[in-house]
Amino acid sequence: MSDVTPLVSKVFVLENASEALGHIKQFCDQNRLIGLKVIYASNIMAILNSNVDLGAILLAEDYCDSLDNTIDLARQINRARPELPIVLRRTSPATFDELSEKQRKLFCATYTIDDLSPLKKVIDEYIFSLVYPNALVRGISDITVSALANQFKHLKASAQTPYIVRDRIIFGEVFSLIPLASSWCRGHMMLQAEESAILDILGFDELTNEENPANFRTVNNVLGEVTNLVWGSFKTHFIAIDDPGPGSTSEVPMVINHQHKYISFGSENPHLCFKYTLADESKDYCISIYQWFVFNLYWSPEDFKEIKASVDDFVDSGELELF
Amino acid sequence: MAKILIVDDSSTVRDEVGGFLTKNGLKVITAVDGKDGLSKLKANPGIKLVLSDVNMPNMDGLTMVEKIRSELGNSTVSVIMLTTESNPNLKERGKAAGVKGWIVKPFKGESVLETFKKLSA
Repeated sequence: MSDVTPLVSKVFVLENASEALGHIKQFCDQNRLIGLKVIYASNIMAILNSNVDLGAILLAEDYCDSLDNTIDLARQINRARPELPIVLRRTSPATFDELSEKQRKLFCATYTIDDLSPLKKVIDEYIFSLVYPNALVRGISDITVSALANQFKHLKASAQTPYIVRDRIIFGEVFSLIPLASSWCRGHMMLQAEESAILDILGFDELTNEENPANFRTVNNVLGEVTNLVWGSFKTHFIAIDDPGPGSTSEVPMVINHQHKYISFGSENPHLCFKYTLADESKDYCISIYQWFVFNLYWSPEDFKEIKASVDDFVDSGELELF
Repeated sequence: MAKILIVDDSSTVRDEVGGFLTKNGLKVITAVDGKDGLSKLKANPGIKLVLSDVNMPNMDGLTMVEKIRSELGNSTVSVIMLTTESNPNLKERGKAAGVKGWIVKPFKGESVLETFKKLSA
């Protein structure tokens, strides 16, 4: 297997004690975590609603004015985002002893500033539990930027650092899904976008004009075509011609809850997430597209092989090969 | 004017490729899948060139090409596949069915326009 990409993950840090914050920041830096802090506690739920790509929540037991209130906050977070592990920082030894069984279930672990090893264990177990080969991560990013740049020729497409999410909240209103299946992976790719943002960029696209303005169907079709382009390139780059295909045909139901913009792929695994931006620098305009890879049915990165020959093929895409 | 049939389930591709070819003096007819492509080809005998996707609902592009030859008995229309697929096994199947060429998406109009004009003349 090729080398492994040092992926990052975003964690929500609910902490007031400055000394503890310093230790946690250092821990985040050492463990590929990006800590997000909230200034006003009253904004926590609103911030949770706007950050749909988190990996975990780090909550201090003295974050609220009493332990009961902190537990109540954990309950609210758990109700809103049950897929996010909450790790509780205790001020005294890191045990669950004082908490009731019901309260304990809100947290996946506890830790103290003097002993961060339980926190490290949670991060490894809940966030960085799957390894992703570097060539795969880099390749996905490259082929998707290329597909986006081709579809939106007047915009500059770029990719941010890929990361791991445990969130199940869908970004925007439009998403496309396509299955991926090979001898080394089985799952789905998902693209997510905001309808209004895509409509805005289509407003000055060659596909639309005053007589034929873009509507939600245009958005659906464009996102579908980008998905198709990425899917085709993914197969060309990462699935060998003689790949025997998946060894199993098992399936699990996917569940989508529209009201909560929630999707479950039936697995507790974290997702590999990419965020792309499409920018019109002349208009100071920028939109985001999120891409998830969810290998919920099978994942065997040690069997992954990048197909070297496909690099040349990819350069030639768009050209007519006459038989 | 030469007629080209574009068969693709993606309206984005139909609009983009169709718009480009129309702007460049070609008459374009569109179909949404292989089944629709066969019926459009039957209904429009003047079609000289078919530009088709591979992966489509109802009937895929390669099955459509095989049926153009076997069921319609049409051996003269030129077919070019425009697809995200680059698998040599699929290309071989296309060749065997009489496909004239293969383009891996995305479509780069300018570089293939002259060939299209020749094939559809």
